[in-house]
Amino acid sequence: MLLVLNKKMHKWLAGILGCLCLVLLLLPQHTSAMTAEEIIQRRDSNEYVQTAIADVEMVIINNNRRITKTMTSYADRENALVIFTNPRDRGTKFLKRGEELWMFFPDAEDLVKISGHMLNQGMMGSDFSYQDIMESDKLTDLYEFKLIGEEEMDGRMCYVLEGTALPDKEVAYYRRISWVDKERFVGLREELYARSGRLLKVMTTTKVEQFEDRWYPVEAVMEDRLRKNTSTELVIKSIEFNATIPPETFTLENLR
Amino acid sequence: MFLTKLAFKNLARHRTRTLAVGLIIAFAVFFYIMYDSLMAGMNEMSYEAIIDYETGHLQIAASAYWEEEEKLPLDHLIPLDLLRMTSLAEVQGYQGSSAELSFQARLNNGINELPVVGRGVVPEELMSVFPLSDKFVEGKMFALGEHKVVMGKRLADLLDLDIGDFVTLLVRDKHSTFNTIEAEVSGLVHTINPNVNNFVVYVPLDIAQEALAVGDAVSKVVVRLERKEQAPLASAQLEDKLRAVAADLAVYKWDDVDAISFSRYAAAENRIILGIILLIAGIAIINTVILAALERMREIGTMKAMGLEVREIVYLFVMESTGIGLLGGLIGVVLGALEVWYMVRHGIDFAALVQLDMTSFGVPVVGRIYGKWNPNAFITVFAFAVAVSFLSSILPGYWAAAKDPIQAIQHR
Repeated sequence: MLLVLNKKMHKWLAGILGCLCLVLLLLPQHTSAMTAEEIIQRRDSNEYVQTAIADVEMVIINNNRRITKTMTSYADRENALVIFTNPRDRGTKFLKRGEELWMFFPDAEDLVKISGHMLNQGMMGSDFSYQDIMESDKLTDLYEFKLIGEEEMDGRMCYVLEGTALPDKEVAYYRRISWVDKERFVGLREELYARSGRLLKVMTTTKVEQFEDRWYPVEAVMEDRLRKNTSTELVIKSIEFNATIPPETFTLENLR
Repeated sequence: MFLTKLAFKNLARHRTRTLAVGLIIAFAVFFYIMYDSLMAGMNEMSYEAIIDYETGHLQIAASAYWEEEEKLPLDHLIPLDLLRMTSLAEVQGYQGSSAELSFQARLNNGINELPVVGRGVVPEELMSVFPLSDKFVEGKMFALGEHKVVMGKRLADLLDLDIGDFVTLLVRDKHSTFNTIEAEVSGLVHTINPNVNNFVVYVPLDIAQEALAVGDAVSKVVVRLERKEQAPLASAQLEDKLRAVAADLAVYKWDDVDAISFSRYAAAENRIILGIILLIAGIAIINTVILAALERMREIGTMKAMGLEVREIVYLFVMESTGIGLLGGLIGVVLGALEVWYMVRHGIDFAALVQLDMTSFGVPVVGRIYGKWNPNAFITVFAFAVAVSFLSSILPGYWAAAKDPIQAIQHR
């Protein structure tokens, strides 16, 4: 009886194991069958937020010099307000309203619209240009993405995607190569190229944390590859997703 | 006649006072002449610096582009084909023309970067319009198709660049997409125009057009004439020619540009400063005449006691004061003429004098600043000095002459 049972159990276990093996064999094939667009959309749904309030630290490194700036940022899908809180820049504010970027200097009590060639400058001397923070979120509307391979990055398997600007679309970077974590769908590295093929910037995610059901990059480094020995570290100290932000937060009146 | 002689005798008798007051007037006259000459010279030089290195005598551009020229947009450009259909050389006084594609860029040496103005040019055309050929301090001009750039020596020094070094120009093309121009530094120039020295990077036109994705288009065409006075006529002729080819193209004269308008505004400001100098000089003269009247109160009392009438005493005062005005004015004019002669001939290098970069104070030219002869200034300031001396002595003269002789003699 015991032997029969054991035989039955063995068969049952063998069946389960067989199914598991099949699932395990099929699973990677299923995920690798994801299209580039699906991967980007999974990443976007993970990384882009409806609303969020975050305390952020920015460390600008130029040779051996390190300048630390702290800020609080309020963001929804269209707008963002950044208020600097470190003593030197306290009260300096940036407001992104749709396609416009405004800056407020507390000392001069002056409101400046950042446009044209000013957008190419580093934000507060960092490796992030104003243009970088103005980028549209919907990358799939601007770029045609191709899955060009899979690579290990810091011990994690990544999809490697290449995005090329769609014809007649206004984009800052003609080409971008992204490394997206295969399991957590978080961008771990992004290379941004000029139309000439010159690598302009590299952004590397150095720490990812889980917030309930989403993985979110909390530490990243941006390097301007046209300049030697400079980089900017961005550290999210705390973040509250889906926070309630009053609509008047993103008004010019509130900026003053 | 007796009183006139007496007046001049008085001047000689009180020679220290005469000389002191005369020198105050002379200083005011001298300072006015020098300032006027310097400002006129600086104005002329700044016009030339702008015409010679930025605007030429005429500029052809789309009117929509001109309105936004400060932003150096890549819209509203002129297709070169259109211009080839226009015979620019037939315009009166034509010497040369240069097609330019201007753009915003960041000049990068691999360590630092600076915002600059890129100018895509055809080298031969550029040299025919702007006198750059003898302004090269190092290296030489590039040829079309070469990945080379020419820039101001000062800009190169700021980024520690030398001939043969490689730079990257980061630009945004017509679709706002980042692009780069990798190029070797082939030449360094130094001109009297600080904008060219500090901010301009010349790039071969075809390389710039490719990098900016603008096809065969340029921002504007700069035309050089034999003389700047020919600009109004040549402009009208050119507009007639262009009207047949493209209605949206317009011709802008050298004095239509903002920098020239600003210079004129600055010149108007200088007139105000000159007016203030004259006012101060006038007050100094009046003050001195009043003091002289007070000082000579006892003498006036004596003259009255001896039978001189009020009218005669006033006449004496006016003659003396006018004499001082004439003397001071003459000394000032002679000294001013010597100074202007020196400034016209040798110029003044303010930067070396004060060890400061004068362009940071808004002086629109670098190097020596030369003066300019302005006969009107000599006549105006001399006449002013004499007139103020004459008029300012009437009232104090009356005031002193109206005093009772006994009171005047006892005046302390």
